[in-house]
Amino acid sequence: MSDPHKVWPTGLTEPESQELHRNIIQGTQIFGAIAAFAHLLAYIYTPWLH
Amino acid sequence: MIYGKLWLVVKPSVGVPLFLGAVAVSSFAVHYALLTNTTWLPKYYEGGAKATAAVAQETAVAALTVVPERK
Repeated sequence: MSDPHKVWPTGLTEPESQELHRNIIQGTQIFGAIAAFAHLLAYIYTPWLH
Repeated sequence: MIYGKLWLVVKPSVGVPLFLGAVAVSSFAVHYALLTNTTWLPKYYEGGAKATAAVAQETAVAALTVVPERK
């Protein structure tokens, strides 16, 4: 697991997997922040949950 | 990063669309349920409520202020 050049069955090395995962996490965080803001607006301006 | 090695055992070409698809399907399902189970969301999606109300009020005011024609 420590060899950074080892190609795993998915075709990725460990640094590549880490890089992909960083981007997915960041995308999820940005999406989540926008969604949270949208839900705040929906809570304020619609009868939702009132 | 925690779980950073996930993509060594899950093919990104399978895992990424599966993840994004799950997000899309579940959020669509929740919003569709709101659309079919509330009264205010279909009204909002239909739109034009304010404009329609304004026109209706104008029409009502105009109808009240019609002066009968003199012969």
